[in-house]
Amino acid sequence: MFTNYFKIAWRYLLKTKLYALVNILGLALGMTSCLLIGIYIFNELSFDHFNKNANRIVRATMDYNSGDAPNTTAMTGTKVGPQFKRTFPQVEAYVRTIKYPRVIGYKDKVFDEKRFLYADPAFFNVFSFKLLNGNAATVLDAPDKIVLTQSMSKKYFGDENPIGKTVTVGIKQLIVSGIAADAPNNSQIKFDFVSSFMGFSSAKEEKWWEANYITYLLLHNASDIPVLQKQVAGYMKTVSRDELKMTGANNYLTYHLEPFLKVHLYSSLEGLEPNNNILYIYILGIVAILILLIACVNYTNLSTAQAAGRSAEVGMRKVMGAGKMQVFYQFICESFLLTLIAVITGVVLSLILLPYFNQLSGQELTTGVLFHPVTIISLLLLAIIVAFMAGAYPAIVLSNGKIIQVLKSGFNFTGGSTLRKTLIVFQFTISIFLIIATIVILQQLSYVRNKDLGYDKEHILVLPVDRKMSPDYDAIRAAIASAPNVVSVAGAYETPTDIGWGDGMHKGTGDNEKSVTVNAFPVDEHIVKTLGLRIIAGSDYTNADVQQFDTSNGGENLHYTYMLNESAVKALGWTPQEAIGKTITKGRSGVVKAVIKDFHLHSFHEPINPLVVFLDKRMVLSMFVKISGKDVQSTLNSLQKVWKQRVTHRPFDYHFLDEEYDAMYKTEQRTAGVFTTFASLAILLACLGLFALTAYTMVQRTKEIGIRKVLGATIPDILSLVSKDFLKLVILALVIAVPVGYYATNKWLDNFSYKISITPWVFIIAGLATIIIAFITISAQAIKTAMANPVKSLRTE
Amino acid sequence: MIELQHIYKWINSGGNRTFLLKDINLSIAEGDFISIMGPSGSGKSTLLNVMGMLDEPSEGQYVFMGDDVFKMKEKQRSNLYKQHIGFVFQAYHLIDELTVYENIETPLLYQDIKGAERKAIVADMLDRFQIVGKKDLFPAQLSGGQQQLVGVARALVAKPKLLLADEPTGNLNSKQGEEIMELFKKINEEDGVTIVQVTHSEKNAAYGSRIIHLLDGRIESTQ
Repeated sequence: MFTNYFKIAWRYLLKTKLYALVNILGLALGMTSCLLIGIYIFNELSFDHFNKNANRIVRATMDYNSGDAPNTTAMTGTKVGPQFKRTFPQVEAYVRTIKYPRVIGYKDKVFDEKRFLYADPAFFNVFSFKLLNGNAATVLDAPDKIVLTQSMSKKYFGDENPIGKTVTVGIKQLIVSGIAADAPNNSQIKFDFVSSFMGFSSAKEEKWWEANYITYLLLHNASDIPVLQKQVAGYMKTVSRDELKMTGANNYLTYHLEPFLKVHLYSSLEGLEPNNNILYIYILGIVAILILLIACVNYTNLSTAQAAGRSAEVGMRKVMGAGKMQVFYQFICESFLLTLIAVITGVVLSLILLPYFNQLSGQELTTGVLFHPVTIISLLLLAIIVAFMAGAYPAIVLSNGKIIQVLKSGFNFTGGSTLRKTLIVFQFTISIFLIIATIVILQQLSYVRNKDLGYDKEHILVLPVDRKMSPDYDAIRAAIASAPNVVSVAGAYETPTDIGWGDGMHKGTGDNEKSVTVNAFPVDEHIVKTLGLRIIAGSDYTNADVQQFDTSNGGENLHYTYMLNESAVKALGWTPQEAIGKTITKGRSGVVKAVIKDFHLHSFHEPINPLVVFLDKRMVLSMFVKISGKDVQSTLNSLQKVWKQRVTHRPFDYHFLDEEYDAMYKTEQRTAGVFTTFASLAILLACLGLFALTAYTMVQRTKEIGIRKVLGATIPDILSLVSKDFLKLVILALVIAVPVGYYATNKWLDNFSYKISITPWVFIIAGLATIIIAFITISAQAIKTAMANPVKSLRTE
Repeated sequence: MIELQHIYKWINSGGNRTFLLKDINLSIAEGDFISIMGPSGSGKSTLLNVMGMLDEPSEGQYVFMGDDVFKMKEKQRSNLYKQHIGFVFQAYHLIDELTVYENIETPLLYQDIKGAERKAIVADMLDRFQIVGKKDLFPAQLSGGQQQLVGVARALVAKPKLLLADEPTGNLNSKQGEEIMELFKKINEEDGVTIVQVTHSEKNAAYGSRIIHLLDGRIESTQ
């Protein structure tokens, strides 16, 4: 019996190839998106769970107010870890970490390494990173010890055994004490190298302030967290008062203990690696379920439409003695066969598309989870449910129908048409919403990319400067500046894309004193010209200012020459003209020489802060080389030649400033990529749904259309007759999607301090695009029926 | 075999009651060959469908082989029908996706007959109708006459006592029609299958032992 069912199902499938293809592909695509998003979500939710102690680890984050405003940061000073361990018996161990780019050398191999971590000796005991070689308790117990990951060991040592060998890190020699397996992808701590925290020179002294480190605490029991949190609050009050002498009523320093497993998805504070937001996980989850739902609904719709054309067959089967259940099973079997094919196609598609999805979302996801028994069982379950949903409706209607009614081909499914229309509206609402979101995200990204930042980011090369180069900085700079096609060269502590140095400055003394929280930007005298900063009052740095920089006598007579941005001048209560020549203090006092136009010193998420620029070449860690943009490759070659002559200890490792700038919006670019993909997918699926519904309606209206044609209706008449009903649904979807889209995209834009305003065009374009696509879909079906010879359609009666 | 008493069937449309069948009284004995004739809309097909239990009358009594059909439960009725009635249609109604062999086999599937037995019965049927060579073809590959031949074979495969045929030759040319009629006659005489056919053609009607003329839903005359 069942072989017979499957046989006829297979023949039917072959007979209606296009339908079957559209139907299977639709469901498969829905499954694929659902699976890919599922893999992604699974990966995000699995973050850090590989750590055996995960439940007992907390990350200490700092809450403080030192005078102007409350602040929170994941960065802490060096004292928290050791002091808490001494004070609170619940603390079993602590690990302080800092990620610090270093130049690593072994024999002739020298590379700039970004994923270099300093960590306390307990690192491999607290966290479950696998050590392939070495003893977890001792690999980091001396300042000159370093652990390499497996891939780094291969990179530097090839097949050699690195244990006990010496590598150059900056200017130090460190001994390889262990090999660790590569850090898992789903970890908030990722590294290529771990060296002992004791070896990090600025961390020798224990300090509450100078927050540059991420501190993790391992507790004896997970249940200690709330109690410890309370004790920390009390303890820190005492420390703030007695040890730190914080006197102001609003001033405080305390620590918050974040459960380790909550960091990646629930914390707003970035640590060693970028966090995600649980909200995005929910949104993606909902999108996945919606897409799957749409696909299933379409699938049901198409199957129903198909089944309507088969009532004669069902009628005949009943005449031949088929029972209700037999007809029912036949449809379910067919549906199951089709669903199974779709599920398999979906899985195969997921496997094929995963690399592209990884590229799109910036992930390194693997397919392992696809073959997990739970996944396979839930897929099969899903297939059965979908098969049942898709098969049951026509099965029930056809198997219950009066034979004589079913036998006549005019049988129709009158029930469920409201439901079906609602589903179409629902699908198009989602599609239009996604289109609106995509347009807004792309517009904002283009705004971010094209807006005048207040400095030039094009054709600027960024090169590193380190302590070894500092003494020769002027000579190196001059050599680079004299290379062909180089327009100008300047240096600063960091790049202007995202200035991280926070500081305080003040004017006046006593009662007239006014202090302001600022960002600080130490530079050399060429910075204004090279970055194209705009001076609105005063004048640029000159050699005279450099001469005046007096480091003799231990810096006793050192004064800075300052520039302020507009915001800083305003915060101090001056006009730009008034500020010139005034004395301000940031660490050291000095005169304001110029006021520069505000430029974007952070990403567009943040407003432009007050900025103080000061001339101090000793602080230069980045060099900016402005090139003409002609013949870039040969310019790079000649720059490399100069570099190799002047800088022997590190590779010519450069990047362009605009790349760095673009990288700040990686998350947004990925979001845009993901949205574009799923918006296209949603509209494709929605069109499939519309296609199904049109097909289905056409089956029902064949006779009516035949009669109309006999009465003289032209093809366009019939087209408009048919499309009108459907376009109404699409327009209803538009009415629902527009306000929702407006609200949601506005919410998203609120993340930016500098943003586009949403114009009605967004909605007009989204609406028109949808209507046109919908119309084409409908026409494709309708024209076929409209063109058919009416004699044929009428004769079947 | 069939006892119809005071069968009425009507439909209500717009306040008017339109009668399709009006006070039909008819008894058919086992082994009869009945032809039903009448103009379009006279209720021929409706009567046939009532006899075949595909349709229910609005009023009246129907006794089939001693059982009161309308007092039976759905399941009993469907069993009765499955075992004893075969149907032939003007438009053949073969299943397009099944081969000749499979089409003939289908009723047996629904009667839960075992594979080997099924094979034997179908093979016998193919042989009897001389369509062995066509068993793997699909309906679309056959002529109308051949399709109807398969339709008849399918209707008879489960060895019904009653064969109902709704204009079985309506779509066929006269030669093909004659062949089908000869076949019917043979089945009736040799196998003792009771046949009720609806037809427009006097010539075909003459094959029957009794002709019933319908007009506006009532039996006008019997000859």
